[in-house]
Amino acid sequence: MNLSAIPGFHGIRAGRAFALLAACFVLTFGAMVTLLVLDQQRVLEATGHLQEQTVPEIIRYQRLARNLEQLRQEGERVFSAHTPQSRQQAMFVVMLVASHPSVLEHPESAALARETERFLNDVMYRSATDSKAFVTYHEEWQRLAARLSVQVDDVSIQGINLANGDLNEVAATMGLARYKVAAALGLVGLFLLLFLVLLRKHLIEPLQRIDRALSTLSVEQPSPTFQPSAMREIHAVEEAIGELHASLVQNEKARVALEELANNDGLTRLTNRRHFMLLADAELLRAQRYERPVTVGMADLDHFKNLNDGYGHAAGDIVLCALAQLMRDTFRQSDMIGRYGGEEFAFLFPETSLVEAHVLAERLRVRAAGYNIELPDGRTVRVSMSIGLADASTGSLEMALNRADDALYEAKRQGRNRVVQAPVGEQRLLADDL
Amino acid sequence: MVFLTRLFFAFLLSAMALPGVGRAAGERVLRVAVLENSPPMAYRDAKGGLTGFSIAIMGLLCEEMRVSCEYHVTTLDDIVDAVAAGEYDVAAVSLLDTPERRAKLLFAKPYFRSLSLWFAKPGLQPGQSGFRIAVVHGSAQERFVRARGWDLVGVRTNGELAEPIRAGLAQAAIIPMSSALNLMKMPEFRDLGLVSTVMHESELGGDASFGISPARPELKEQIDAALERIKRNGAYDRVNSKFLPFRIN
Repeated sequence: MNLSAIPGFHGIRAGRAFALLAACFVLTFGAMVTLLVLDQQRVLEATGHLQEQTVPEIIRYQRLARNLEQLRQEGERVFSAHTPQSRQQAMFVVMLVASHPSVLEHPESAALARETERFLNDVMYRSATDSKAFVTYHEEWQRLAARLSVQVDDVSIQGINLANGDLNEVAATMGLARYKVAAALGLVGLFLLLFLVLLRKHLIEPLQRIDRALSTLSVEQPSPTFQPSAMREIHAVEEAIGELHASLVQNEKARVALEELANNDGLTRLTNRRHFMLLADAELLRAQRYERPVTVGMADLDHFKNLNDGYGHAAGDIVLCALAQLMRDTFRQSDMIGRYGGEEFAFLFPETSLVEAHVLAERLRVRAAGYNIELPDGRTVRVSMSIGLADASTGSLEMALNRADDALYEAKRQGRNRVVQAPVGEQRLLADDL
Repeated sequence: MVFLTRLFFAFLLSAMALPGVGRAAGERVLRVAVLENSPPMAYRDAKGGLTGFSIAIMGLLCEEMRVSCEYHVTTLDDIVDAVAAGEYDVAAVSLLDTPERRAKLLFAKPYFRSLSLWFAKPGLQPGQSGFRIAVVHGSAQERFVRARGWDLVGVRTNGELAEPIRAGLAQAAIIPMSSALNLMKMPEFRDLGLVSTVMHESELGGDASFGISPARPELKEQIDAALERIKRNGAYDRVNSKFLPFRIN
């Protein structure tokens, strides 16, 4: 049911398809309703005709039947009358009924009425000479009277049957209307189904996709891709999700950059003192818990103040950067280096004993001392460094760093450009004091 | 608030006016011209009250139209002109359709179908000369006889049609069906030994209607509708059976 998959619907927006569907529905349903209203009109007309035309006509037939019955009764009276006067009177009514327009307008009845009148007249005429005439013709009269009775029934039924035309019309119309109602209901159902299918295809399923996309949206995942939706609104939401993902990625970058700014020294890109203390503290705890060897160190550039004074602060910065890089290159990946103060650096060597650390520190000292640092003006400088090391496998980080700092001081005192280890016993001593 | 109060009083006033409107409708009176010696269509009963087929039908119509009818007795030769002049609203008399009547009156829908009978001494046929024919003044039968130039004796009412024959002033009569039915019940009429035949001329039979004053044209529609209703609801047929031996509609 993808509309764009249907050739004729390609390029038509789903919103318009919904509107088109609704318009089609309104038109078709309106047409069905109009047809039903027309049927209703036909029924009303038929019943109106029944009332206005047919019922009076039926009544007319009933009155004709009544008159034919009267004719038969008057005939009976002619035969059964005891006096000539009442016979004459009955005969007079026979004549009137047989000549009345209500009888004359129905040809069959008119013919039978005339025959009755003639017969009775004939018998009356014969009775003038033949006193037994009424007895002689009575049998014939009875046959005629029976025919009159049948005619009465026929006329009654004819009258009643007049209603059949109208009633059949009503019944046929109502029968047809029933089919139309069924068709209209079917149509409503069909349109409803079509509407639900479109709704599912173009609204519910896209919304489910959007829900899935949103719940899995993260910077680790690539931006979700969608089939181009036929609904403009859905399409807009899907595009917005893409934009949301892009902004998430951007935010993550900004966050990382901020973190970098917060944790690292802006000049040397080394971990700053605060962050170093955090990382080192965590590593120290880990090492002490597993009773692993760990060593800390403090380093200070020798005569750095003189360098700054002689070459300027820019030169000092260049030197700091160069030596930071040297430290990174010299030490192992797992070793921690932090810029502790102006020209002071702190180290932590995990899984490393004091002796092993001494080798690493010594290597750095040698390299620094022989490192020709080029300044932008083409001059080169060399800066030596003094390093103090202390075992950190027991005690706090601060205490270890203090001892390393003491060792550094000792190195300075001994003439700089050297590595000095803090005595191990001093620590024990401290421990014993506790 | 002022508006609401006014509205309330307007409502009160109209509510008070309503019974007045009802009375006005109730006071609608129809002046109906009738005959009194034309049995069984219109005659006085034993107590002197007006009755008969035409009068009973008119009574039903008045009931149907919810109007009160006051009956004014007159004669056939006066009735058409009086109704035409607006003296009466309705002529509750069976009027056959003639051009003169149609020029003066409005015809309601037919309320029955009539025919006329020739009553004469044996051997006398319509159109023969040398004898006089009794007819009612102002009747379609009179018009018929005059149009043919036959000799006639006029009487004022249908009830008197036999008199000229009995008195030897006339030897024949042209009598409407209903009057003839009534006359045939009377021994003294039967004893005259008249021979009767139905006259088939169209101007002597067919539709018979009430006449309506041209001053009240709106009555025609009301009377026609009321007539239609009583023919359908059975009231008409009860009146028919009461006054006549067969269905005359």
